Amino acid sequence: MKVTRRDLFVWGAGAAAGLVFTPVPWKLLDDVSIWSQNWPWIPQPTRGPIEFKHTFCSLCPQRCGLKVKLAGGWPVGVAGVRANPMTRGALCPLAFGAHQLNWHPQRLRTVRHKGSTASWGEARATFAKACSEGPVAVIDGQPGRATSSILASFAERRKGSYLVALSPETRALLPYESWSGVPASSLGYDLGNAGTIVSFGAPLLDGWGIPGRFTRLWAERAAGMNDPQLRLIQIEDSFSHTAARAWRWIHVRAGSDSALAAGLAQVLIEEHLVPAGGPVPSLVLSDAAAQTGLSENSIRELARTMLDQAPVLAIASDENPGVAALNVVLGAIGSRGGIVCRSKHAEKYVPFDDAIRKARTVLIDSSVPWDFQPQIDAEIFRFAAWDIGSSKSDWLLPAPGFLEDLTDVPTPPTSAVEIFAVAQRLVTPAIDVESAAQFLGSIDSSLPSPEKIIHQRCADLFHQRAGIVYEREPTPVAKFESVQKLEAELWKGAMWVGDPSSLGGLRCELKEWPTAAVAKPSQNWATEWNAPVLPPLATKLFRESSLREAPDRRIA
Amino acid sequence: MSRNSLVFGFGLAVALLAGWVAFPRALYVKQHQPVEFRHKTHAEKSGLTDCAQCHAFRDDGEFAGLPANDTCAGCHSDRMGTSPAEATLVDRYIKPGQQTPWLVYSRQPANVWFSHSVHMRQAGLTCADCHGGYGESDQVRLYELNRISGYSRDIWGHSMSRLWRAPGDGMKMSDCEDCHRRRKVEVGCLGCHQ
Repeated sequence: MKVTRRDLFVWGAGAAAGLVFTPVPWKLLDDVSIWSQNWPWIPQPTRGPIEFKHTFCSLCPQRCGLKVKLAGGWPVGVAGVRANPMTRGALCPLAFGAHQLNWHPQRLRTVRHKGSTASWGEARATFAKACSEGPVAVIDGQPGRATSSILASFAERRKGSYLVALSPETRALLPYESWSGVPASSLGYDLGNAGTIVSFGAPLLDGWGIPGRFTRLWAERAAGMNDPQLRLIQIEDSFSHTAARAWRWIHVRAGSDSALAAGLAQVLIEEHLVPAGGPVPSLVLSDAAAQTGLSENSIRELARTMLDQAPVLAIASDENPGVAALNVVLGAIGSRGGIVCRSKHAEKYVPFDDAIRKARTVLIDSSVPWDFQPQIDAEIFRFAAWDIGSSKSDWLLPAPGFLEDLTDVPTPPTSAVEIFAVAQRLVTPAIDVESAAQFLGSIDSSLPSPEKIIHQRCADLFHQRAGIVYEREPTPVAKFESVQKLEAELWKGAMWVGDPSSLGGLRCELKEWPTAAVAKPSQNWATEWNAPVLPPLATKLFRESSLREAPDRRIA
Repeated sequence: MSRNSLVFGFGLAVALLAGWVAFPRALYVKQHQPVEFRHKTHAEKSGLTDCAQCHAFRDDGEFAGLPANDTCAGCHSDRMGTSPAEATLVDRYIKPGQQTPWLVYSRQPANVWFSHSVHMRQAGLTCADCHGGYGESDQVRLYELNRISGYSRDIWGHSMSRLWRAPGDGMKMSDCEDCHRRRKVEVGCLGCHQ
């Protein structure tokens, strides 16, 4: 029998029809899709024993407590720590996927000099030479750490400047510093005892302060309640995530926060709703109404509503003397549920001044927000874990990423109590990275190591015999038998919390109402993002959650 | 019957035969476990009657998975009998201090998060509900490795058609969904893909 071309086609048609009724196409489709998840360039978690370690988040200066799940010594999951007294298990959505950030395509993997690949040796030699040629300025984004001490020591030895890029939360506390003489670094908000919080654009539910702290507070005292125990009044020009969840959203014109604060103070004083004796704003109510876009009656009603549930605390999104003066009028300085002084030993932050303009060399620590771009002629050495683009730095130096560096955890800017903790290094970097402290240590070997400073800080805590260490159970420091035992607890992820803030030690001498600052567009990391550096899963979380919104997506 | 029908039928029969008989044999490669472990022997001779005696939950509630060799070394730090399997375990893994590279039938892709604790302690499932009566078997099964996906045949299930399967046969996402639907327990995407 002769096999014809037609037979082959008919046979093929029969085979094709038959295949549809076999598992071949469906199984192949399934297997190939699974196979595509395991391509060699896709990082896979190591297989090995599962363990959990407690540490602290390093994504922002606020340092929420983390419970990290490790498989074979490699982090595969992140959760909050219930025993952490500040956050009590709450985290911002970004932290939940943060262990993937080290694999992000925008991770800075090599030293770069003006866009070209360079070596650590070249960077070191150039930096050392530049330091010998003129003044150096070292810029820190998270002061108070062991690393900060090393940066400050280096600048001091080279007769240079140690400067701090303040977070907007800290800048919002600067007016109280100038009026009370107490450094902003030792001031905080007693949020837990506040009855009403009037937020002038501060993104309280959008990554502000210690994100886990306010999220937990909000969940317990406000979320889903018609008459919440904690009233949040959000004064903002756009319907932000915080505005959407607030008890009241007051829509005002952009840049009119100071005018509204003055208007509210006018009403409070006129109607004798607050004790007399505070500063009186010169702005009349009609002008405040004109500037904010609200009616005079609305401002009057808002002032009365604020006081319905005391204590009342006003929070500005950035440095705003008008909002700070409103707190003085409200009596929220040094009082329960207001602005408190948590420590008498804090240092004043050195503001930016001419020192940075005279500098021959500027070193920027990786803790400084990416959008901080000094407009100066100096040679700039910038440490960063991720390259978000548009950098004006001469040198980009790869820094340790998430959980890749040992650091201590000083008190976050908004905290009402002092804290101390140690975030241990849980991940061995897959690329050649150095922190700014390591880099400077390799140039000046007489600088102390972070480990040594952390050890000394633990010893200081032990000898003070004050405060409580929170691990699974709270243990007073006085009950620890030795420095070693206290240090061991802290290295395991425990947190030391100091004694509650003293309420009587803070007074603001303010005779006249401060002149309104010229409204400037917000330039802080909490509200302005060039491009979020997020891994795919975190990007999904970012979009589906209330993590942080890009300003251009806001609904006015 | 016309010639065309015959040829078409022949092609159909070859495809069906290849798809149902040859394809599974070609797709899966059979592998032996590194040690011929016998659950039944351990249950009878050592009194290990509860799975959790070796496959334990830790203090924090997390499932510890396969026991490390430290657990085995509690009895087998040296040879107790004459079986070749025990000799392999002791000489190749316990004495050199290496972990036994068990081939895990139920290993899921890395993007799947599964809590044994939630399913057993909250939902009340037993080990056998998902793993079958493997704990009572007298010999260790051959591990069938899917050449393409790299996972065990137990994930797809032993029925190639996935029809008329025995309870607990198959550990794909649809199996999880079916069980959750039957028990009226809702879980979103991030419940398992965290």
